[in-house]
Amino acid sequence: MRIQLNPIVKKDLQVTARSMRFSWGLFAYEAVVAVAFLLGLNSIQSNIDSYYGDGNVYQDLMNLFPTLAIAQVCIMALIVPIMTASSISGEKERQTFDLMMTTCMSPLSIVFGKVFSAVLHVLFYMMGSLPVMALSFVAGGLSWSVLFYFVLAVILLSVFAGSIGILCSSLCKRSISAVILSFGMYFVLNLLTISPLLIRAFWGWNENGLGEALLPLLLNPIVFFEEFFMQVMTGESLFGTSEEYRLVEGDVGYLTYCFTYGKVWVFLSAGCILLLAFLFMLIAAWRIDPLSAAAERKPLKGSQN
Amino acid sequence: MLHINKLTKKYGSFTAVSHLSLHIPEGDLFGFVGPNGAGKTTTIRMVCGLLRATSGTVKIGNVKGAVGSREMKRMIGYVPDFFGVYDNLKVREYMDMYGSMYGMYARDIARLTEDLLELVNLSDKKEVYVDTLSRGMKQRLCVARALLHNPKLLLLDEPSSGLDPRARVEMKELLKNLHSMGKTILISSHILSELSEMCTSIGIMNHGQLITSGRIEEIMAQLSGGNRIHIQIASGMETAVRILQEHAGIVLESVRENEVIVTNSSTDEEISALIGALIQNEVILTGFYREEGNLESLFMQLTGGDEK
Repeated sequence: MRIQLNPIVKKDLQVTARSMRFSWGLFAYEAVVAVAFLLGLNSIQSNIDSYYGDGNVYQDLMNLFPTLAIAQVCIMALIVPIMTASSISGEKERQTFDLMMTTCMSPLSIVFGKVFSAVLHVLFYMMGSLPVMALSFVAGGLSWSVLFYFVLAVILLSVFAGSIGILCSSLCKRSISAVILSFGMYFVLNLLTISPLLIRAFWGWNENGLGEALLPLLLNPIVFFEEFFMQVMTGESLFGTSEEYRLVEGDVGYLTYCFTYGKVWVFLSAGCILLLAFLFMLIAAWRIDPLSAAAERKPLKGSQN
Repeated sequence: MLHINKLTKKYGSFTAVSHLSLHIPEGDLFGFVGPNGAGKTTTIRMVCGLLRATSGTVKIGNVKGAVGSREMKRMIGYVPDFFGVYDNLKVREYMDMYGSMYGMYARDIARLTEDLLELVNLSDKKEVYVDTLSRGMKQRLCVARALLHNPKLLLLDEPSSGLDPRARVEMKELLKNLHSMGKTILISSHILSELSEMCTSIGIMNHGQLITSGRIEEIMAQLSGGNRIHIQIASGMETAVRILQEHAGIVLESVRENEVIVTNSSTDEEISALIGALIQNEVILTGFYREEGNLESLFMQLTGGDEK
């Protein structure tokens, strides 16, 4: 069996690594992470100096890691859609798309290649930030496996954000339209997954409980990351840990009751998010296939200038 | 090699290509001629799987796969009229990328890249960034890229458009070379003189329909200009005119001071007999030649002079 690196990934890595934009991007990323770290340290120092401080410096130092992690995830959530949203439309703008489509690469492998190169890009950034991240391990109390799990979560979230970006890129003719659409879609997706809970919470909670209104949150990347981080850092859950604090089956419904047990939610949510990402990538591949029925359709209104 | 059968492309009520049927034998250099909007590019894009045909079939060689299948894509090398390149990518890496996209092994890509860059005269540019190459060089590189996976059929969509005269000559020489190597080539172009010089067959399209196609000399013979004879006479003009008027199959078109132009529908034997008769009657001929038909006039004649 022959293992070959996806040519799109190889090309993107070569092209990206040589561009000044990548160097400046890496610099900016490290700067933000470093500033987040310094602000965290400053906060700890203030806590020590403060008359009202609890004096638990150890706990504060441990909190540096989630602070940096959240900062990184936020940056990642910004850069991955930008990178992937301009990938297909960028090829079209550059007039390299047709040549790519005449090769033996399938539309799906092109889409995978584009998303994978965005994920690798993020991993580059993360590798660069490791020295700063490692400083939060100096005080001890955090195992290296936490860092490993964090990288896994970032990969998952990058794939998801990348799949939204590539879907929008396949829908739009211009990169800028695709970037705007992908952020819009990201926002709408988060809103849609949380809206059943909000609707239930405001109308009808008292009578019928939450019901299965929590289930759509399985597709919510923010909830996933929060639950993931709580599980990894503290072993606790957003939905309560011990039997005493667990959600009541009669209130939330049987499925939600089962899914919120232990680490079930994290794995299930990861699976759902990956599935949704795969679905987005399939749609993107169908959209870019020149011989599919989708190719006959015009790009989204307003996306072509 | 290439069999196109009743290929049609419709955009709503507009028909870009209508029931186009074409056969290009192996080793042919086929010129695709037609005014802007005739449907040449649409046809080429349908053949190489970049556009879905409304109806009709395309078959290349003995390949069983449909248009857009891997088997078909391996058979085709495509050179578009205009294409972009990547910044920060060297010529060698550019070839490597496309070779990988065709599933080729790295060692084969490296070997073929050397040979092909030599063929297109870009050997010394191997480590140069693609975006710094001139338009002509990029076009030649694109031909090298299209040949990398050793396709049986090369489709070139106006490869000389936007090139300076020198680059055009180089491109023409390159295509002649490829033809002599036995490649089947389909080339669409607006530069008709170039096509007539290098193509073995042509097809003329207009309004989405193939008006005529065949060997270039056969098509040229259809031209009215191809049957016109210029006879230059030093003395004996009156006798010459009389003989010509009496000769069946000859129609006098114009009589000038030292030249008579006739339209001829006689056989070669009758023409030689006519020359003999003129000489026997003491008509002194200084010239006797057939007017050469050219692709431009044929094109204008068949497309009604819509657009060149």
